[in-house]
Amino acid sequence: MSATRSLVVAHLFPELLNLYGDTGNILCLRKRLEWRGITADIRQVHVGETPSFADVDIAFIGGGSDREQRIVCEYLLKQQRELAAFVQDGGVVGAVCGGYQLLGDSYLLGDEKVAGLGLVDLYTDRGEPRIIGNIVVDSRVSSQPIVGYENHGGRTHLGSGVEPLGRVLYGRGNDGQTGFEGCLYKNVLGTYVHGPLLPKNPGVADWLLARALERRYGSSELAPLDDTVELEANRAMCERLLSEQAGRS
Amino acid sequence: MGFSKAFAVGLGRFTHWGLRTLARRPASQLPGRVALRLDPHVIAELSGKLRQGAIVVCGTNGKTTTNNILASAVEATGAQVLCNREGANMAAGVAAALLPGRTADWAVIEADELSTIHILPALRPRYLVLLNLFRDQLDRAGEIDHVQDTLVQALARSLQTTLVACGDDPLCVGVGMRVQAAGGKVLYFGMGEDLGLPPDRVPEARFCQVCGAELAYDFRSYAQLGTFRCPKGDFEHPALDFCAMNVRAGREGISLEVQSAHWSQPVRIAADFGGVYMAYNLLAAFAAASLADVYPATFQRALDGYDPHNGRLQHFEVNGREVVLNLAKNPTGFNQNISLLLQDERPKATFFVVNDEPNDGRDISWIWDVDFERLAQVARSGGLVALAGGERAHEVQVRMKYAGLSAQAPLAETVAEALEYVDELPADHPLYVLCNYSALWPVKADLEKMGRPA
Repeated sequence: MSATRSLVVAHLFPELLNLYGDTGNILCLRKRLEWRGITADIRQVHVGETPSFADVDIAFIGGGSDREQRIVCEYLLKQQRELAAFVQDGGVVGAVCGGYQLLGDSYLLGDEKVAGLGLVDLYTDRGEPRIIGNIVVDSRVSSQPIVGYENHGGRTHLGSGVEPLGRVLYGRGNDGQTGFEGCLYKNVLGTYVHGPLLPKNPGVADWLLARALERRYGSSELAPLDDTVELEANRAMCERLLSEQAGRS
Repeated sequence: MGFSKAFAVGLGRFTHWGLRTLARRPASQLPGRVALRLDPHVIAELSGKLRQGAIVVCGTNGKTTTNNILASAVEATGAQVLCNREGANMAAGVAAALLPGRTADWAVIEADELSTIHILPALRPRYLVLLNLFRDQLDRAGEIDHVQDTLVQALARSLQTTLVACGDDPLCVGVGMRVQAAGGKVLYFGMGEDLGLPPDRVPEARFCQVCGAELAYDFRSYAQLGTFRCPKGDFEHPALDFCAMNVRAGREGISLEVQSAHWSQPVRIAADFGGVYMAYNLLAAFAAASLADVYPATFQRALDGYDPHNGRLQHFEVNGREVVLNLAKNPTGFNQNISLLLQDERPKATFFVVNDEPNDGRDISWIWDVDFERLAQVARSGGLVALAGGERAHEVQVRMKYAGLSAQAPLAETVAEALEYVDELPADHPLYVLCNYSALWPVKADLEKMGRPA
């Protein structure tokens, strides 16, 4: 394996979509590449810019307030075709919270139905009350449960051909009903889990990196890292939440 | 006085007496809760006993300190002041603060931003001081837009209240503009000059409150505070009614000169506690005190005697080591603490304690918006030892690892354990303990037991 591998990560609209420590997700991707001697080329995409996704390996989109999400969606819709081509070509997308909702066909801003990017067959409507709390998800992308925090008024419904990210072990997930959380479609991973997602769930971070390396270099091989601290944080929180739940039932 | 009010007030006072005298417990909330349960209008009725009126202080960061300085200053004029000094700042805490005594001159009240909708229409204060608005406890308070909407509605229902807001904060000015449009009166305070500080992160509010364009700044004090203007001309920094000049802010203390129409001469005020954010708190307290006719010399006298013992920038000495305790409960507060810490050129140890109790906010994703990276360089050169604690200690550890601060920061369950760990460091290396809300009280109690005030 050549030591000169590198990946391009496009961070979409960091100044607008940064509600829940989303910079932590980008920092995590950067560090986990650098620790493995892989060059991380992080590009911030700002409002008003029209980036090309031609050489992008991973696009990351975070969460924002309703007002900010509206601004972002207007810009992104102009690039819908290019984004769709990126996804069809196996481009890796990590989308959290509001960014997750944007992936679908539509979502609600207040009572107004807004067109999404239509990258994944899902849509979001609204329910009461807002779903707020810790969440634990069992997912095939990570050997540890995914742990984090969810805070969404939206209820996201997956089309029949879309695999959920995983099964909810604690918390509510996509629509608070089905017991599933997030979506996996080609190399797109969408989820309500923030907190932030990646540093607390190194398995998810490495899944994104492995998919991108596979696409770029034909091999998803990743050198193992010392994740003692991350896994201990993950374990402590999962244990606390799941034992709390066991005590309740 | 109607029967229900008399009964509510009487039972509230009885609860206060019972808690304090029999149970020897602080009585900051329960008496108010009892009184409010019996008579939902008890705040409005109790406000009638105020001879001069009320001043309410709110804002994301600094309200307890500002409110307590203001209360001490008004008290120093000889006035009788009711105040929720312990920071119980929702309706029950406010009702409890208003219970004692038949009459008083002033009530100086700290209010939680979202509680203003219950407090303002009932209390109808003469002034509402709005210090700043930062992202804080999203799971509890919601997004900042919602906090702004609530403040505007609260003020619209109490139009005799003059808003005294930070003119350097676009989010406060956004509230001010809407209050003015609703017929309310607004005064602004702020810095009249560039403080020349190293730039920190601007997590929110970089956008015009009218058109959404990114704001341009002539200079910025910290976070989104500064002299801003919309490039399209929709929105700009207002003229300041209380303007601070010749500001000196450091670890040892701060001083500033306030220019206003209120006093014919600029007034210099100084405090021996530090931090840029404290300059804003002092300016706000001075502005409100001036409006309550407190003379500058009286204000300064109150400030000289101000020693809060409430864990806000409180200094201790434990076994010859200086320990500095401060509250840091959101990114802006934490980043300000990091600035303060970096101003201290001595090698030092830090202990970051993060809990996730309901009053802290259960969601601690905000620790990723704290610039721990600024400490990494000092740590690499050996000038900083960092420890993690609290219910979410492991995640603080993860944050420090990704910040390059410490690959595996040592954990400590208590401040005593942290002190034990740093025992090998020379005694002239101070320990800074930064805690979020619920983490603060046990640490403070331990330090009071182990050490002495310094």
